[in-house]
Amino acid sequence: MPDDPSAPKTIRVATDVGGTFTDLVYFETDRGTGEQAVRTAKVDTTPPAFEEGVLNVLAKGGVDVGTVDFMAHGTTVVINALTERKGAKVGLITTQGFRDVLEIARGNRPDFFNLKYVKPEPFVPRYLRREVPGRMTFKGEERQPLDLKELDLILADFRADGVQAVAVCLLHSYANPAHEQALTAAIAERWPEVTVVSSHQITREWREYERTNTAVLSAYVHPVADRYLGRLTDGLGAARFDGSLYIMRSNGGVDTVEATRQIPIIMVESGPASGMLGAAELGRRLGLPNVLALDIGGTTAKCALIEGGQVRVTSDYWIGRSRKSAGYPIMVPVVDLVEIGNGGGSIAWVDDFGKLHVGPQSAGAAPGPAAYGRGGDQATTTDANLALGRINRDFFCGGEVVADMGAVDAALDRLAARLEVDRREAARGVIRIANNNMINALKLVSLNRGHDPRDFTMIAFGGGGGMHAAALAGELGVRRVVIPAEAAVFSAWGMMMSDLRRDFFVTHLVDATPAGLADLAATGREVERSALTAFADEAIAADQVRFTRFAKMRYQNQEHSVEVPLPDGDFDKQGASVVDAFHGLYEREYTYRLDAPVEAIGLHIIATAEVGKLQPVRLPSNGADAAAAVKATRNVDYALEGVHPATIYDGDKLAPGMRFTGPAVIEETGTTVVVHPGQSVEIDDYRNIHILIGQGG
Amino acid sequence: MRDTPTTDPITLEIIQSALQAAADEMFAAMRKTAMSAIIYEVLDMGTGITDGQGELAGSGAGIPAFVGVLDKAVQRILEIHGAAGAIEPGDIFVTNDPFYGGVTHLNDVIIALPVFAEGQIVAWTANIAHWNDIGGMTPGSMSTEARELYQEGLRLPAIKLFSRGEPITPVIEIMKANSRLPDYLVGDMWAAVASVRVGEKRLLELVQKYGRAVFVEAMARYMDYGEQVTLAALRKLPQGRFELAEEQDDGRIFNVAIEIANDGLTIDLRDNPDQDVYSANVSADGARVASQMMLKSVTDPESVCNGGSFRPLKVLLREGSLFDAKPPAAHSFYFETEVRLFDIIWRCLAQHLPGHLSAGHFASICGTVIGGPHPDTGRHYTIVEPELGGWGAQTGRDGVSAMFSGFHGETFNCPAEISEARNGLFVDCLAINDEPGGEGEWRGGKGIRMDYRVRADGNFLTCGYTRSRILPWGLEGGREGSPNYIEIRRTDGTCERIAMTTGLTVNRDDVIRVVTGTGGGYGDPARRPRGKVLDDIRDGYITPERAREVYGVEPD
Repeated sequence: MPDDPSAPKTIRVATDVGGTFTDLVYFETDRGTGEQAVRTAKVDTTPPAFEEGVLNVLAKGGVDVGTVDFMAHGTTVVINALTERKGAKVGLITTQGFRDVLEIARGNRPDFFNLKYVKPEPFVPRYLRREVPGRMTFKGEERQPLDLKELDLILADFRADGVQAVAVCLLHSYANPAHEQALTAAIAERWPEVTVVSSHQITREWREYERTNTAVLSAYVHPVADRYLGRLTDGLGAARFDGSLYIMRSNGGVDTVEATRQIPIIMVESGPASGMLGAAELGRRLGLPNVLALDIGGTTAKCALIEGGQVRVTSDYWIGRSRKSAGYPIMVPVVDLVEIGNGGGSIAWVDDFGKLHVGPQSAGAAPGPAAYGRGGDQATTTDANLALGRINRDFFCGGEVVADMGAVDAALDRLAARLEVDRREAARGVIRIANNNMINALKLVSLNRGHDPRDFTMIAFGGGGGMHAAALAGELGVRRVVIPAEAAVFSAWGMMMSDLRRDFFVTHLVDATPAGLADLAATGREVERSALTAFADEAIAADQVRFTRFAKMRYQNQEHSVEVPLPDGDFDKQGASVVDAFHGLYEREYTYRLDAPVEAIGLHIIATAEVGKLQPVRLPSNGADAAAAVKATRNVDYALEGVHPATIYDGDKLAPGMRFTGPAVIEETGTTVVVHPGQSVEIDDYRNIHILIGQGG
Repeated sequence: MRDTPTTDPITLEIIQSALQAAADEMFAAMRKTAMSAIIYEVLDMGTGITDGQGELAGSGAGIPAFVGVLDKAVQRILEIHGAAGAIEPGDIFVTNDPFYGGVTHLNDVIIALPVFAEGQIVAWTANIAHWNDIGGMTPGSMSTEARELYQEGLRLPAIKLFSRGEPITPVIEIMKANSRLPDYLVGDMWAAVASVRVGEKRLLELVQKYGRAVFVEAMARYMDYGEQVTLAALRKLPQGRFELAEEQDDGRIFNVAIEIANDGLTIDLRDNPDQDVYSANVSADGARVASQMMLKSVTDPESVCNGGSFRPLKVLLREGSLFDAKPPAAHSFYFETEVRLFDIIWRCLAQHLPGHLSAGHFASICGTVIGGPHPDTGRHYTIVEPELGGWGAQTGRDGVSAMFSGFHGETFNCPAEISEARNGLFVDCLAINDEPGGEGEWRGGKGIRMDYRVRADGNFLTCGYTRSRILPWGLEGGREGSPNYIEIRRTDGTCERIAMTTGLTVNRDDVIRVVTGTGGGYGDPARRPRGKVLDDIRDGYITPERAREVYGVEPD
C-alpha cells in the first residue's frame, strides 16, 4: 500500500520526457534504517504517444508501479505542440478595437539590417479574432459595461469554422477580471463542451499583446495537454498506481494534476526548470547556496544563476526569440535561464571568410554526430571531443555505440582544410569556440547582472556538462565545480527534490509611500487568500503552505523593476527598510543610486508546500583509495594546455572520500568528466564529484 | 589587408565575440535603468565599441542608425581634444550637436568613454539615446518650426562630463537647468554612464587576459573581415551607374546616383535642394549613416557589421544642401529627411537588383509627440514615439504588417495598457489599417490605425509625417501603398487631416487618429492566386468590391 507507514519502504520515482529520451530516477528509502537505493533508466521518447515512453521506462527500471508512493513527472508535450504547430484551432475574443493586437505584436525587428525580415505568424488568423464592447480602466474601474449581444453570433461562427478552443483576453483584466469572468462564464454556458482559457487565470500582469498571446497559446495546447495527462493518469492507473502524482511546472516546482490540467501552459519549460531547481537544491544540501547551474544536452546548453539557494523566476518568457526573430511571449512563471544552440551535437562550420563557428544547427539524434556512423558527415562538438581523446572512443555512449573514428577524422579533415590547419588544431578550435559560446551565456546570467562568477560554485549536468565544466570554470575564475552523481538524468532527479510551488505575478502600481505600500499589501493579502482557497480545494491545508513575497520596485518613470524581498507579516509597516533595500539592490545591479521617488509596480508572491520530497542520505565512506577506480591511462588533448597523459577513472567505482588530481577523465555510462592538469577531485558523501580549481578550493 | 595573423584565429574570434557581448551588456544596462520611455520601451538608443581611433569595432546593439553615429562622435572628440594629455583615464565625454559629432539632433545625447591600457587609448565605449527634453523653444525640444539649432535646445559640443572619474557638477547643473524634465535627464544620464563603464570593465578584462597588442590586433582584424564581407558581396551585384529622381510630399525633387563597382559603392547626393529653412536638415554624417545602412542591407545583412564594412562606401555631398547642412541649420526633424534618403537609395537599387529588395514600405518615422496634464496623477506626461506601418511586398511573399520603419530595428511599441496608465489618454483602438492600396501578385503589408482619446483640456500634438501625398512605391506592376497621416477628430464633429504640425492644441475627448500606410505591392495584381484573394476577403483585409475591381475575383 503506498504511503502506508507500516510498509517497509517509501518509493519515489521521477519520469522526465525529453525530446530524445525519457528518463527515470527511482529512489527507495527503508523506513527502518533510512538506507536508500537509487536506480536510473533511459528509453527512447515515443511521440506522439508520450505516455507509452513513461510506462516503458518504468518497466525498464524494474519499477512495480503499484508500490510507488510519489511520482513526479515532467514532459515536453506542451513545447512540442507549440514548436511543431500541432495544437487546437483557436478562436480569440477580445476588447473592441483590439483584435489585431495579436498580429501587430510589438513591431520590433531584431534582425535589423535585414529588410526582408518575416514577422512571426499569429496563432489565430484574423477571421477567428472577434471583439466585444466593454472597457475597464488601468485602475480596474468600469468605463463601459460589457456587452454580450454579439456573443451568440460569434460562437456560432466559431462552431461553423471548427474552433476547438476559445481564448479570452480583455484590456486591463489584470487590474479587474470581472468582464473576463463574465464573458468566460457566458461562453461556458452557451458552449459547455469547448475549452475556454481566459487571460486572468494565467497572469495578472499588464501588456495586452503578451497577455493575449499567452491566453491564445494556452488555449492552443490545452486540448493536447489535457488528453496527454488523461492518458498518462489512465495508463498509470491500469498499472495499479495509487500514489500521488505531481507534474513539473516551469517555475521549478511541481503542481497537482488537477491544477495543471486547468492551465497546462505552465508545463512549457518543465524539463529545463527541474534541472535548475535540482542544482539549487543540491547546492543547499552541500552548503553551497550560490550556484551557476549549467545543463549541456545534445542540441542546447542552458544556464541559470542561483543565489541564496533560490532560482530566479520571471514571467518575461518568450519562445522562438533570437537575433533573427521576435518570437512569442508567454507570461507564465519560468525559471530565468539563458539557452544557446550549443550542445554535444552542435555542428561546426566555416563561413565564406574562413571563420569557424559552432552551432546553432545540430546534428540531432539522426544522423547525429559523425561518430554515430549514421551518415553524419559534419563535425560536431562530440566528434571533436572524441578526436582529442576526451571521450573514450572505446566507451562511446557507455559502450553502447562503436565510435566511427573514420567518419570523425573525415569530418574534421574537411573542416581543417577550410581553416588551413591540421586535424588536431581544427578539433581544438571547435572545443574552444564551443566553450566560448557557453562562457558568453554564463556571463549573461552572472556578470551582466552584477554577479562575480568567482563567488559561485558551478553545478554542471546533462550529458555534456562534465566534459566542458572544468574548462569553463577555469576561464570564469570559478573555484569549485560539482558534477552531480545523477548528472545524466539530473532533470528527473530535480523533480524529486521539488516542492509544490505556485508563483503569482500581480501588476499594481503604487508610490512607495506608507499609503501606497498599505494598498499593495492589501492586494498581496487578497492573492494569498485566494491561493489558500485553491490549495484547500486540493486538500492542502493552510499550515502546509509558506509564502515568500517580493515587491517589484523602481525609480518613478523607469520601466524595469528590481525584485525586493519583503519581510514576513505586514511589510507596509516596515516601508522605510523596504525602500532602503531597493536602493541597495539597485545599486548592486546597476552601480549607482538616485535621489528620486520610488514606486512599486506590483508583487511576486511564491506559495510553496512540501509534498513529500526526497531527502537523500549520506553514504558511508569505505576509505577506499581512488586507485581502486582507475581503469587506464591515455593521452588527452587539453587544447591550449597541451596533451597530457590522463588517468582514466571508472565513475561507477568512485566512492565517498576518494581524492585524486588531474589530468584525469572520469567515465560513466551517461557522461564523461574531464579534469584538467592541476585541478583536484574529491568525491563527497552523496557521490557527487567536486573539481577544485586553483588555490582557493 | 594586413599580413598573416600573428595570433591564432580562434583567440581573435573569441575576443571579437566578447566585443559583441560587451555591447549587448551595455545595451541591457542602459535599457533597464533609463527614465525616458523612448529609451527603455521604444529603444531609441544604441551602444557600441570603437577602436582607439574611433572606428566601429563591432555592430553594437540597438538601432543601426544610432550605432552608426558613435564612431563619428568619437572621431570628433579625438579631433577636438587632440592635444597630448587632454584626454585622461576616467574621463567621460558628452556631445549632442550635429556639428560636433552628434550627427542627428540635439535630443540624441552621446556619452563616450576612452578605455586606457598601459597609458594608451585602446578603445572607446559609447552610447546614444534620445533624451526627452534638452531645452529649446518647444516641450520635447523637437519642432517642425525651428529655424536655427539654437531654438532646439542646449548644445553640448563634445565636452567632458566626467574628469578622472568624477562628475563635473557645473556642466550637469547647466544641463538640468536647461531641461523641462531635469529628473528624467539625470536618470538617463546615469543610465548612460553606467552603461559605458560596464563596457570599459569588460574590455579591460580582455586586455588583461590577452594583452594589449592581441586585443588591438583582434579589433583591427575584425574590421578587415568586415571589409572583405562587403567587397565579396559587392562583387555579386550588377555593376553600373543607377539614377533616380523622386518627388516629395512638398514638391521638392530628391536625386540620387549610385555607382556599383568591384571595389566600392559610391552614392552621389550632390544634386539635391539647398538646406531647409526649418528643421528637416540632415548633417553630412547623417547622410553617411543612411547610406551605410542601405549598403549593409544589400551586402550580406546576416554577417558581421563594423567600421570595416563601410570602408568600400563613398558618399558625395554638397555643403549647404539638405543632406549636408551648414550651421546654424535646425535639425530636430532630421530623421524624416534621413528616412526619405534611405528610401530613395532603396528604391533606386530595388529597380536594378532584382530579388535583393522588396517594394517600398511606409517609409516614415511618423514621429509623434503628445503631452499635457495627466488627470489621475497631476503630473505632466509626454509621449515621444515613432509609429508602426506596412512594409512592401517581394517576390514570393506579401509584405509585413505593422512594423517600425527600416530606419529602426529592435524598437518596441508601447502597450495600450501601459500607455493609458502612464499618459493622460485612452487608447480607443489599435488595429490594422484596412484602407485600399498595395495590391499586387504579392500585396503590401498593412499599416495601423490607432485612436488616442485625450482626457484633459490643453494637451498638445507635434508630428512630422511624410509619404502622406507621394505614396509607398510598388515594384514590377504592383500597386502603390496608402498614405501616412493623422486625423484630428474634434468633439464638435470636425475632422482635420494633417501630416506636419507643431504644438497643436487638443482638448478633452478629441481623438488623435494615427493612420499609417500600407506598403507597395509586387507584381501584377491579376497574377495573385484566387485563394489568397479569398483569404484576404475572409480576413477583412480587402472588401469584396475592391477585390473585384483590382483582382477581378468574384467570391463564390
